[in-house]
Formats: sequence, C-alpha cells, structure tokens
Amino acid sequence: MRVREHEDLRRTHLPVVKSGGKVCGASFGASLPSLIIFVFVLVALAKPAAAQNGTFTLSSAPGGIAFTVGGGGNTYSGQFGTMNALGIGTPAAGVTVIPLSNGALYFTTYRLTVTGLPNPHQAGITAFVNSNFTHPLALFMESCPSTSTCNSSGSFAAMSTIAGAPTTVVPAPGINDQTVIAGLGIFVPDNNGASAFTGLDTARITLTATDLTNRKVFATVEIRLDTPQGETVQNAVSLTLATAGGGLAVTPGSDFSMNFGNVNGLGFGPGAGLTTVAATGGVIYSTPYVLQPAFADFTSTAATIRTFASTNFAHPAILQLRDAAAGPGPYTNIGNTAGTATQITNAAASRSSITRFLGLFVANTNGATAFTGSDAATLTFTLTVP
Amino acid sequence: MKKYFTIFALGMMALSTAAFAGTTAVNTNTVSPTLQISATIQKAVQLTLSTGTAAVSHCAVTPTGGTPDYTMDFGTVDALGINAGNCNKFNPANPGVDNAIYWSDYNLTPVFTSQTAISGTTITAKVSTDFAAPNNIFIVRDSANSSTVPANAAAFTALSTGTPDTIVGPGVTSGTAQTRFIGVAVKPDNGPTVLNGAQSATVTFTLTVQ
Repeated sequence: MRVREHEDLRRTHLPVVKSGGKVCGASFGASLPSLIIFVFVLVALAKPAAAQNGTFTLSSAPGGIAFTVGGGGNTYSGQFGTMNALGIGTPAAGVTVIPLSNGALYFTTYRLTVTGLPNPHQAGITAFVNSNFTHPLALFMESCPSTSTCNSSGSFAAMSTIAGAPTTVVPAPGINDQTVIAGLGIFVPDNNGASAFTGLDTARITLTATDLTNRKVFATVEIRLDTPQGETVQNAVSLTLATAGGGLAVTPGSDFSMNFGNVNGLGFGPGAGLTTVAATGGVIYSTPYVLQPAFADFTSTAATIRTFASTNFAHPAILQLRDAAAGPGPYTNIGNTAGTATQITNAAASRSSITRFLGLFVANTNGATAFTGSDAATLTFTLTVP
Repeated sequence: MKKYFTIFALGMMALSTAAFAGTTAVNTNTVSPTLQISATIQKAVQLTLSTGTAAVSHCAVTPTGGTPDYTMDFGTVDALGINAGNCNKFNPANPGVDNAIYWSDYNLTPVFTSQTAISGTTITAKVSTDFAAPNNIFIVRDSANSSTVPANAAAFTALSTGTPDTIVGPGVTSGTAQTRFIGVAVKPDNGPTVLNGAQSATVTFTLTVQ
C-alpha cells in the first residue's frame, strides 16, 4: 500500500558549496584522482537526494469503509452503498449518515500517511473529483480536512471537481512521518421533480501529495467509489406527527399517541390544548396537530395524505373522530376503512408542515346506551407520493 | 453456482422495500404511521338559570361569572305593595295583615350526559343564605311547581331554609327549560329590628340525575 511516484531524480537539488563568498563548481577536466573524488562525492550526495521523495498511502480508518487496493498500489476502491436523501435506515458498513434539513450527508473517515520527506519538509494533500457522478444533482462529493473532527455536517464541504483548483485535505504546514484522518462524504439532497434520480452511480477522486517546501508533487492516488457496486440512491418517504402550538401533546411511541383525557358530552373542562366546538348531539373536543411529510427522489413534488380509523372506538356511537382544516370547523367524520379514508390533502410538499385539526366528538347520550370510562381508537395516516 | 447466487442476492437487495419504522420507508412511495387516540368519558351535569318569559314582567336573571352564579333584583319593595318593584307584585289582600309579594318568572334548564339512570331526576331549591332576622322579608316560590303563572298571593309558598323543596321532577328531561316562579314576601312587621334598605338572600338549586 505504499506509493512512491513522481520520483524525478533529474530534479534532485544538489547542494552547492560556498567558499569565500563564491559559489564554486566542480572541475571535470582534472586528473583521475580528481575524477574519483568527484564520483565519490556525487554518490555521497545522491543518497540524501533520494530521501527527499516521500511516500503517501491511504488506509481505512477505524469505523470507516474498507478499501481494496489495486492499480499497483495507487488505487483504493470502495463504496458508500445504499443511500437516500432522508437519511432513513442503517447505512452501509463504515458509513455514517446525518439527516439534514435539505438532504442527508453520508460520510466515512480514512487515514492518510506521509513518510520519508527530509526534515523539515512537510506534505500537503489535496483532492478533486476526477470522474464525477453521472447524476451530479443527486449526489455531491464532499470532503472534510484532516484538521477537523469530521463527525458533523459542518466539517464537510463540497469537493472540487477541478484539477487546477483542488480541495485541501491536509493543509499547511502539512505532515511528514505521520498519519492523519480526514473525511469523505456524499451529500444526497432532496431531489424531487424532473431531476429526481434513483439507481446506481459512481465517482472517482484523485488525491495529490505535495512537498510544501519545494512545491513538488511526489505522489497521487485515486479513490474509486465503485467497488463492488458504488452508490445506490433510493427514494424515501416519511410522515411524522407533532404537537402544534397550543395543541394537545402528540407523543411519539408506536407510532404516536394523543390523550384527550377526561371528556364529557357537554364539553365541560376541556384539558390543556383542547377547545370545544358545538355539535349536534354532543360536543367536539378539538386540537391542532402537525403533519410533517417528507419525500425524496420522486418525479412528483406533491403527495397525498389520507387518514382513517383503522381501529375504531369500542363505543362508536359515543365517540367519533372528525377532521377539519380550521379550529372552528367544519368537522367531517373520519372514515373507518381504508376505502373511505378522509383525504387531508393532495398537495403535500416535502418538508412542509401542515397544521390540521383533530376533533373528538362526544355524544350527549343518556340512558341504557350511555357510556362512561376509557376508550381508544387508532388513526392510520398514509402518505402516498404518486 | 456461487456467481449466480451472488447476482440473485444483489438483485433481491435492490428490489426490496425497506420500512424502518411506521413513519419512514425507502424504495417505495407510501408510508403509514399510526396515531392512537384515547379518552375517558365522564358523566356531566349542568343547570342554568335564565330570565323567564311567561309572566307579564320579568326580573332579569343575570349571570355573574363568579359567585353567586346569578342574581335577581326585585327592586324597592314594601309590605303594603306601594312600590312597583322591578317586575310583578301581589298587593296584600288585607294591608297591614297580609304580606305583599313581589315575584317573577324564571327558567331552569337542566342538561346531563352519559347518565344511565335518569327517570328519577329532580331539581330542588332551598334558601341557603336567608335574609337577616327578624325575617320580615323572605323567599317564596310557586306552590304548584309548574309553569302556570300564579294568579294571586296564595299561589306562593315560603321556600324552605332546611330540607330542599323539589321544584322540578322527578322525570326531568335533559335540555328542556322549565319555567318556575320565585319572589319575596314582605311582612307588615314593625319594631326596632325590622329590616329596611337593601337586603339579599341566596337560593341554591340542585339538579340530581338519578
């Protein structure tokens, strides 16, 4: 895994000898002893010149992706595996995902080692994408320099795709006889509409090691993110519920729960977050709540959200679930089957919250069919992206 | 054989749909989280008073939003029926002997829910805080406990200051207003301790669903 490239002995800088304030060159036209001395000196001087060419190697960092070394030791192949813009699921081995507000950052860390430069020479390392993803709006290569911790999105920035203006990976003053860790990331943005992409893609990166003392490039290596397959972008959907300001608490669980507390057919004493709305035959306890749809890599930019009571109350004549776009209503009964599901919207935008009102109708029934006590129902919300 | 198995496995991975929780999924276009909703239903009762509409004149029943819940003011009254009061009056048949009665209609509206037994429901009333002694003014109610407008002073009875009087029921219907009549009787008493000036008493109404 050691690489030694760009070793150009012709460019070895021979030290000059200063004497009496002059620079004295050697004489090649003298006697045989002089020639022997000259050759001896040349050999003696050649040895440290070779030591000026350092070596630059890559290797996997603990917890990072594995590389397969090839190409005579200067290509490192691996992959980030399956990804999605919502950061859903467990990423491939060695890859960490950070869901962001506009996509997801998948990243790994890797080790860079430089040895063999003459003291006090130090090496800087740069990188650029020499073969970018064929879907550059769906996948962005990012880099984290060795001077950062590379464990948050703020440590990563877009990697250059221009050879003449590469991204710094190991900045000045550089390293020598040292191993550092840097980060390699792929940003998968929210990408709905015409540019949506799902499928396989690959990229290649060139890393260049430069002696910062003499500005001499002494090694390059290539990372190929194509082994065994490359990067697979999948579409993803997410729908979460949350508490609205001034509304009843929506508690995450399996999947969410909401407790209206004590209710009665007259609407007395609504709990915190609840208001009552008059209704024929009883009263509606109403609360706002928030729907948070998110989806990525679909050609459609609008989704449909429907809901129905997949498990109805045990006393459906007493308790009913109703839906409204506004607090005062009007409230409509929520269907009890998937086929009669209530459509909340057919224009849900990704990462755009929707405030909706859920009403619990309580009948003011008296007599034999009256009921007091606890009851529960389950609403199933379905987000569908066409 | 191994090669084909690898291809098959990769193909299955690519085609698979992964759902990581009820709220998220990949490689598909739909996701269905659930929301469990729970509530505890309680019985509820309500009894409200309002200004009547049956008699010729009506003393207003005014909700205070505090304590007491309502007020009704009969105005300036006297034992001879000289003052008109704020609503209706029956002058004493024998001035100086009989009481003058200043009275009004009012409405009681009971509402109750989630009650399994309702046939024995009643509304009772009692004077919970009486006028001060020597009680030369006291609270009266219509003796018939009906919505029929009283015809004379004899149609009124002193409202109990002890055991509540049943004034509606049994057999009250939820949501139906009931008209009743209430007033003050002013005795033709004299002496150093008789009450003069503004006086007040409190009547407590009780709805019991049973």
